[in-house]
Amino acid sequence: MSVAAPVPSPNAPALARWQRARRLGHITLLVVMALLAGLAVWAVQGSLIPGTDWRRMEGLGGIVTAFGRFLPPDLSLVPTLFAPALQTILIAVVGTLLGALMSFPVALLGAANLRPLGMPGYLLARGLMTMSRSIHEIVWALIFVSAVGLGAFAGILALACRSIGFVSKLLAEAIERIDLRPVEALRAQGAGPLDMVRHGIIPQLLPIGLGTLIFEWDINVNRAAVLGLVGAGGLGLSFHNQLIASNYAGVTTVLLAILAIILVGEAISVRLRRRIV
Amino acid sequence: MRRTAVAAILQRRRQRSAWRFVALLALATGLWLTLQYLDVRLERFGTLFDRLGLLFATRYYPPDFDYILQPRFLRSVLETIHMALLATLAGLLLAVPLAWLAAFNASPLPAAGKAAARVVITGARAIHEMIWAIVFIMVLGYGVLAGVLALTLGCLGFAGKLFAEEIESIDEAPVEAMRAAGAGPVAVFLFGVLPQVRTAFIGIGIYTWDVVFRSATVVGFFGAGGMGWYLRRTADQLQSDRVAAIILLIAALVVVSEVISHHARSALEGRTDRRLLAR
Repeated sequence: MSVAAPVPSPNAPALARWQRARRLGHITLLVVMALLAGLAVWAVQGSLIPGTDWRRMEGLGGIVTAFGRFLPPDLSLVPTLFAPALQTILIAVVGTLLGALMSFPVALLGAANLRPLGMPGYLLARGLMTMSRSIHEIVWALIFVSAVGLGAFAGILALACRSIGFVSKLLAEAIERIDLRPVEALRAQGAGPLDMVRHGIIPQLLPIGLGTLIFEWDINVNRAAVLGLVGAGGLGLSFHNQLIASNYAGVTTVLLAILAIILVGEAISVRLRRRIV
Repeated sequence: MRRTAVAAILQRRRQRSAWRFVALLALATGLWLTLQYLDVRLERFGTLFDRLGLLFATRYYPPDFDYILQPRFLRSVLETIHMALLATLAGLLLAVPLAWLAAFNASPLPAAGKAAARVVITGARAIHEMIWAIVFIMVLGYGVLAGVLALTLGCLGFAGKLFAEEIESIDEAPVEAMRAAGAGPVAVFLFGVLPQVRTAFIGIGIYTWDVVFRSATVVGFFGAGGMGWYLRRTADQLQSDRVAAIILLIAALVVVSEVISHHARSALEGRTDRRLLAR
């Protein structure tokens, strides 16, 4: 391969324009960098330095000693962790299923192309999606623990509410992309709204819905492991117990257990989604 | 001929619905067993809405807005914003090189090094930032630093994975050309890889800010700095009207932050990816 003709040299104005654009790009980059650096300095001076107990660390040696207490992991704890691990996984499964159940009507109301209840229903659904996402799972758990008491049930409800935002948003987007002709055909034959949803919309949503669900379950295992800290059972509770007993080696073991179930969950999730999509 | 074909279709349909019934039955049984195992009392579900309604009507309402307007509390809101800022910046700065080292197509490291970089990203992501916060509190003591480090790890895990995926989907031709011309790995990254992913990286970075900020509002729950601590204190003391005010403030702050970053992203016209909305 050879270059057939020499590249014509660009005319002067174009070159000047190009150079100006390039310089502008560099200046923008510098300004953004300076801005970010300024923000960082502001944050360090405003909060990081006054808001940290520096003396408690006792220098690098103190930190190393504090870290050393976590090693080696207390392996005698492993047999007691199977039940909590199973609980965490199951809380995630049931929470995801319940969340999906609640997400479907929200997604229907919030799909811009259908709007079965008009604008009020649409706004309500969009508001619910935002609320669900902006409230942290710990806060959801606090609310439900105060409503149904300590235990897995509160965790399941918290995960379900936390899941609505993501799942219904994706479902709504999927509904906005579906083929409306089957729905029209059903309506033309006199089908009621439930039949239109059941036979016109759900079959088209199934693959993407299942994929989203598995992805959300994967995230929910991660969240479920933390909910035990506020009283929802599972590995979070084991973590909390080790923490209260100041058994740092045990804390490491629980951390490793959490890591293990999440990695396994992620592997399962990736494999299942690959099969569906 | 025709009749047998119809019969065969009917037969198949009957078989399929029989299978579906069996699968549904198995699912229902499994769910029931799970609920038994987790000791979920479904009868409480019936009264749940009454109780929630009562709870909101009598204890959470009216929210105590005076509490969140105290200078002490507003100071913790500023602290929260500072923490999110620092963690996002530090996390993104760490995530870019780590993603480069972990990407299978562009990494300058041998296979073992790639795997190690990936383990760091996955490990940071797998453990919830709340748990990281507690671990850092145990090592470093209470305060902002523990929270910033926990959020940094969360940010690193979240952005690192997406950055690596982005790098893995680039066009290989410029990279190959640069390698063939004798460019070193850093030059290949800076001039072959980075220009292709820059826009996507900025988009992901803005998304990451949303995620980190949302976590920052509660990461102080166990004493890692920010407004989370007040949430814990008011919740422990059953001051639900104050909890309600704090929750509403968090929701408002998150919405404001999301609106800003939404505008920043549309101005950028970067690629949006649905997976980014997770967490």
